[in-house]
Amino acid sequence: MRTDRTTLATISVLTAVFAAFFVLPFAGLLNRAIEDGKTWELARSETARTALWLSVWTSTVTLALTIVFGTPVAYLLSRARFPGKSIVDAAIDLPIVLPPTVAGVALLTAFGRRGLLGEPFEEWTGQTFAFTTTAVIMAQLLVAAPFYVRAVRSGFDSVDRRAESVAYTLGASKTRTFFRIVVPQVRPAILEGMVLCWARAMGELGATLIFAGNLEGKSQTMPLAIISAFEGSSLGLAGAIALSMMLLAVALAVLVVFRLVSNREPWQA
Amino acid sequence: MSVEYEAAIQLGNFAYEAKFEARNEIVVLFGHSGAGKSVTLQAIAGLVRPNRGRIVVDGRAMFDSAAKLHLSPQERNVGYVVQELALFPHMTVAENVAFGIPNGVDRERRTAELLELLRIGEFAKRKPATLSGGQRQRVALARALARDANVLLLDEPFSALDDALRVTLRRELLRLRAELGLTIVFVTHDLREAHLLADRLAVFDAGSILQFGAREEVFRRPVSRRVAELTGTSNIFAARVAGRDGDGGTVLEIAGSRFAARTQAEVAPGADVDVAIRAERVNLRRPGEVPNAFRAMLTEEFAFGSSHTLHFRPVGAGPMVEVEIASRPYEVLGVAQGQEWLIELPASDLHIMRRD
Repeated sequence: MRTDRTTLATISVLTAVFAAFFVLPFAGLLNRAIEDGKTWELARSETARTALWLSVWTSTVTLALTIVFGTPVAYLLSRARFPGKSIVDAAIDLPIVLPPTVAGVALLTAFGRRGLLGEPFEEWTGQTFAFTTTAVIMAQLLVAAPFYVRAVRSGFDSVDRRAESVAYTLGASKTRTFFRIVVPQVRPAILEGMVLCWARAMGELGATLIFAGNLEGKSQTMPLAIISAFEGSSLGLAGAIALSMMLLAVALAVLVVFRLVSNREPWQA
Repeated sequence: MSVEYEAAIQLGNFAYEAKFEARNEIVVLFGHSGAGKSVTLQAIAGLVRPNRGRIVVDGRAMFDSAAKLHLSPQERNVGYVVQELALFPHMTVAENVAFGIPNGVDRERRTAELLELLRIGEFAKRKPATLSGGQRQRVALARALARDANVLLLDEPFSALDDALRVTLRRELLRLRAELGLTIVFVTHDLREAHLLADRLAVFDAGSILQFGAREEVFRRPVSRRVAELTGTSNIFAARVAGRDGDGGTVLEIAGSRFAARTQAEVAPGADVDVAIRAERVNLRRPGEVPNAFRAMLTEEFAFGSSHTLHFRPVGAGPMVEVEIASRPYEVLGVAQGQEWLIELPASDLHIMRRD
């Protein structure tokens, strides 16, 4: 009995300390945002609005590209057997564990003006990737897409393949089986992958900074704008706080929507 | 309503070859897991393509390696229930059942009929996860019947259920078969289930059928020691053919003792053979003049409620024997450990198997 109480007390204290550690930063942010009194005004400034819009639409394009290219990849990784599969598997996980700055440097060496593909591409078309909005999307794609592929792949893994076999014996074509039997079961995983991918793209900083630069209106996404504000751009520290609050609000909104959508799968339980 | 099956499959190191048929009956494919039972159903359903062979369902060729014919599962119209059922978890019971109903059929009416047939109408709007094991089993059966298939392939459908429920569902299956005139190929590793359901039985072992025949034939007259073991014959003796007796029977020498066997077997005198007798066919006799008997002592006994299993050790010549006896005669005879009995191996139940 005594040990039980001691254990319980220890767990409670540890939990409380940890919880405080997580809650305090947000409380601090909120506190400063209110104290400053300029937050609302700064959040509506041209720089902030441009950065937010750039972040939102590039992340959304990144997500769309990820869904188009990543879904088949996830399906293949789950279902197909081919030589070198484990290498492909590891290569897709690599960006998840790789520091984003390394991803940025790697992108430069491939698609930069002196890059493997970048140099011939510029000679041929006169166009460059680096330091453009396209570069922002490329950086996000490299860093964020693996999160989607991983989530959706495990979704495909969890679908009972015998259910597909049964569907065939019931006369359903492969296409009908895929859309009526497989996709509905993978939907929660797809949603999860979409949220992870989009959120990761929204927060992308290191790779973008190196490969796309920090040009307002062109490659200055929200995280970059926050860095700039710290380094003394016109927005200042109060601006950094205002931008942070905006990102926080977006993140919360996404989480809430995700919860609402994914809770509509009672058969999962 | 028939299935004619002949196929050879090479899957890595697994070599498989099987031949059997089913006509308006239940054919049970019996054997341990990995023996090739499930792959047989997959080949009939079109989910596995054999390397060689010919599969005909209701007179229509589904697969014929000589003619390079291999119909897709969609084209075959056989009902298939997999182990653990694989119900569609995101669909209601009614949607599961309706999934296979062909276009042009009154979907709502047919669904209602099938739900009624399997007595699951009240669960129509529920998801499979909310149903009990037995209810899910009925959903899987209803779903498999949605295309009006005449042939039903069932892969260990009752393995996840408790005993009482299995009894009910086996009865249900026999009712369905009678009502719809189905031909059923039923896979199981459960001996009692095989015995209860089979009209004919195919005994699988390591990728091939060791014996295919009428149920009693397979149980009473296994073709080899292996089949006898698989079908639960507990007394299998190594024996030598000592000669013929006057009645056209065979005289066998088992563990130093001679026995007459009435069963037909083409074995030459001097040949080494295996002899099987099921534990429930062995008789306990009081001491006296009994042919085909030897003295033995009861050394071990196990009570199973409705029956007792007794182990006897010979006193003098004769083999070790297991005897199964119903509870009532057990009590009437006053059987007890340490007693000596005459063990009679009836000549008509001693089954001779050649060693090849």
